[in-house]
Amino acid sequence: MGRIVYAAAMSHVLHPPYYEKNVGPHGKRMVEELIAVVGEMGRELAARRPDALVVVADDHLNVFSFDAVPAMCVRIGRSVSRMAQPGAVEFDRALDGLAERYPLHEDLANRILEDGLDAGFDFAASWSAPLDHAFLSPLSVLHGDRPMTPLVPFWVNCFVAPLPSARRCFAAGQHIARVVASGPWDVGVIATGGLSHFPELSLTRVGESDPEFDRRVLGWMERADHASLTALTTKELHATGSHELLNWMVLLGAVAPSRARVRFFGEMGRIDLAAVEWAIP
Amino acid sequence: MSRYDVNVLLYRLKKDGAFRERFRRDPAAALRAAELTDEERDAFVRWNPRRLNELGGSLHLVLSIPDLGAH
Repeated sequence: MGRIVYAAAMSHVLHPPYYEKNVGPHGKRMVEELIAVVGEMGRELAARRPDALVVVADDHLNVFSFDAVPAMCVRIGRSVSRMAQPGAVEFDRALDGLAERYPLHEDLANRILEDGLDAGFDFAASWSAPLDHAFLSPLSVLHGDRPMTPLVPFWVNCFVAPLPSARRCFAAGQHIARVVASGPWDVGVIATGGLSHFPELSLTRVGESDPEFDRRVLGWMERADHASLTALTTKELHATGSHELLNWMVLLGAVAPSRARVRFFGEMGRIDLAAVEWAIP
Repeated sequence: MSRYDVNVLLYRLKKDGAFRERFRRDPAAALRAAELTDEERDAFVRWNPRRLNELGGSLHLVLSIPDLGAH
């Protein structure tokens, strides 16, 4: 019987030059502290020897364009490439220097997809979507010099309204947990993004975050108050710039009823950074 | 409708280097075939990221178009 052997969530622009440019030395120092914590978490992940790593993250309008935006999408196939962005600026520079191809755990991805459709989750499937910084920036820090764990990338639409509900994302995570329990693999689950930043996705509000909201949400995670978490509306997430919590909701469903342990929380101004781990029985 | 067209153009400006270069040389000509309102076209031609965002353009795109990013 398979098990979830490790679960963690974290901010996903782990790139000091981005914060140095946009926030200053204070931002650079804070993300360097976060990177050190995520590196430690990566060593704990490696010690659990996962066969596969489900990574829940969002697309920053890099992969799905506007031809079709899936509410949730499972990346299937045998390998996945890094997003190519010639002349990258801002957060896209977090991809600089990273490897170009990564292994996928094809069997687990297929199970999540096929069993999901059987169970009423109309997941999209992609054979070609590449990974942007939301996946690869934290994965590169988690793995350090170790080989990449075979991945199951799982996208949640966090930015193109209408968004999936927190409750539905949580349910998708519960589905992932059932698939893992019914299979033979030891699996890690990682969610990325946030905390609050870019409220209302408005350019005029870039630079604002909502620390009070973030502390409340992290408190709910520490107490495993999943009723309060799944009651969050997409309107609240949009107002506070917490769109990427939808990724975390999938992880919360997968690890429920486990409690979170906050390994890092930093109020930067432009964004609040975090790294959180769940106590897996 | 228009929001879609604004975002398709922003996406193309990010991903298609040759189109981006045409746009930088002559924005009005590069956008001639695009279905945009006058207000949207003006925001593109004058390259006003804030206005494009207010008109429904994706924040993440207006921030991350090479050489034209909002910061």
